[in-house]
Amino acid sequence: MTIDLSRRGFCIGTALLGFQTISSGVLARSEDGTVKLGLVAPMSGPNARYGSFSLRGAQMAAKEINGAGGVGGRKINIMAGDSQGTPVEGVSATRRLIDQDQVDFIIGDVSSSVTLAMQPVAEDAGVLLLNAASSNPKITYKAGVGGFKWTYRNYPTDENRALIVLQYAAEKKGFTKYAVLSVDTDYGRAAIEFTKKYLPRFKSQILTEDYYKEGEVDFRSVLSKIRDSGAQAIIMYGNADSTPIVGRQMIEVGIAGKIPLIGNAEFNTASTIKAAPKALEGAIEAAAWLPAYDSEKSRAFVEKFTAEFREAPNNHAYVHWETVHLLAKAIEQAQSIDREKVRTALSNIHYASAVGEVTFDDHNQARLPMILLEIENGKPAIKGAYSADIDYPK
Amino acid sequence: MVYTVIEQVVNGIVSGSVYAIVAVGMTMIFGVLRAINFAHGEYYMLGTFGAWFAIDYFDLPYPVAVVIGVVATAVIAVVVGNFVMQRIVGAPAEAGVLATLGVALILQNTIILVFGGSYKFFSGGYIEPVTLFGFTLAEQRILIIIVGLIVFVGLELMVTYSRIGKAMRAVSQNIECCAVVGIDVRHVALWTFILGAGLAALSGVLTAPVNVSVYGGMGELITFKTLPIIIMGGLGNVRGTFVAAMILGIAESLVATYVGLQFRDTVGFATLMLVLMWRPHGLFSAQARF
Repeated sequence: MTIDLSRRGFCIGTALLGFQTISSGVLARSEDGTVKLGLVAPMSGPNARYGSFSLRGAQMAAKEINGAGGVGGRKINIMAGDSQGTPVEGVSATRRLIDQDQVDFIIGDVSSSVTLAMQPVAEDAGVLLLNAASSNPKITYKAGVGGFKWTYRNYPTDENRALIVLQYAAEKKGFTKYAVLSVDTDYGRAAIEFTKKYLPRFKSQILTEDYYKEGEVDFRSVLSKIRDSGAQAIIMYGNADSTPIVGRQMIEVGIAGKIPLIGNAEFNTASTIKAAPKALEGAIEAAAWLPAYDSEKSRAFVEKFTAEFREAPNNHAYVHWETVHLLAKAIEQAQSIDREKVRTALSNIHYASAVGEVTFDDHNQARLPMILLEIENGKPAIKGAYSADIDYPK
Repeated sequence: MVYTVIEQVVNGIVSGSVYAIVAVGMTMIFGVLRAINFAHGEYYMLGTFGAWFAIDYFDLPYPVAVVIGVVATAVIAVVVGNFVMQRIVGAPAEAGVLATLGVALILQNTIILVFGGSYKFFSGGYIEPVTLFGFTLAEQRILIIIVGLIVFVGLELMVTYSRIGKAMRAVSQNIECCAVVGIDVRHVALWTFILGAGLAALSGVLTAPVNVSVYGGMGELITFKTLPIIIMGGLGNVRGTFVAAMILGIAESLVATYVGLQFRDTVGFATLMLVLMWRPHGLFSAQARF
């Protein structure tokens, strides 16, 4: 007996097979008995350090939640996707997590450029994208009433950061002349864009402006130029791995201890300070969190993380740990893993984080303070916590 | 003004010395094997990792770590040379491209698998600034320039006077004739490859103290810096490579200062295009190889 397969039959058959695959996937997603949580972060490449800390933070939170019986009886299963810190890889990882792994929710990415690229993908799929570490303001300009209803961010924005840093540098240090040395990404560029917005308020100016590619290792030419420019401070919004290199080369060109770094690039990390103590002394940074932050919940987290991984956590470990707990609370309040119900729960949440209560505005942006610190005698000294409402473009 | 320009030229010479030591190995490998080694930056990375491992795990002094980094890379090069590089002698160009790209991926990902993907901090070396004629330069950078000069003088002497050096020159000029007169081409290819990989590793361990961060993917950037240098210098030409490396180093330094740091990486291929428009076979192609 031969089977006569017509073109129409083949098309209908393929469509049915596809439908069956999709529906079985949906069943797998809802009947698996776990909460499948995708985590997109740079696990390799120049920002791999961030990804490693993010994953450890998230896994530690999942372990804590699962150990206490799970969320609504379901265990959290973290499924990691490597963005390599690039938008193209980030989108591939997001698609893989949504289409193949059938994740219920996604946390990601550390890099603003990657998060901006992930937003439409999550929106098309109707999957909740909860960002824990990107700071470009555009991410939440575009979210909530701005458009993307599935994107939320549990992290402060660069607009606040730029204002806080500039205000402290001008009022407490008397700086008015700056050199810019920032990473050439949506994060680094946006931070400087907002710095420029506030420069006239503090009668300040930028004398030189340079952006470096991720992975850059030779800053000497630019640092020599900065030395000769008359700048009082270097505004650096960069990635943590470049800071020790910049610090060391500041020693080489003779500006360490004379022209401080201000902005944000993990100036407060012990290993970074150890790499170039003279260059990091006097560095001013605004961060979402730092290990020295003094609250009971924060201290307990640092202690537990350090005991488990034999290394102090960084900002990314903390924000991912906190964000998994935040999501778990939203799931618990929704009493379901139904995406729509969890989204509604998140919009109305009042979550007690280590740095204060988290609520979301109509742009799905968490209201969070920034912590300002200065490196004094080789250690970060906290100078205060500041928050401000975001001025969304009309 | 003049002071700044001279300082930037000195900075460029330092970068150029690093590029030169890496690129000379790559160009010699091309001369003998007729294949661009796309895994060349990975030997730079392996050397750096070897030295970092020696310092971080065994607390060895920097000079010892340098030797360990270079020797460890040479050992890996013996294995890769025997199993891969010798087999591409006389093979079509595509075979060389694919084989070396494959080796690059394997080496890079093996390191990421063993040591993780994150940056490691290289704590060895000598970074204190020294003031010479009013210019400040880290001790390590002076060391890089000195070692660069020693390497090039040494290579010149080797290819001119030593038996293996003469064989390398001969193979680079005509493989078939060498085979006819009884030169063991595969043996020469292997030794050239080990030498090239060792020089890349040496460059890595010399640069690590000032570049500070060590990670699995660090070789990629070096490979792509090296490509325009060896093409500009005339493929297989040692002296040409040295001059091209210096041109690139100085041009990059001046562009980073006067145009913008973000344009630094475009300099290599932009300079290459300009040179090729003027001299399509590279700057020194008219001269004999080596």
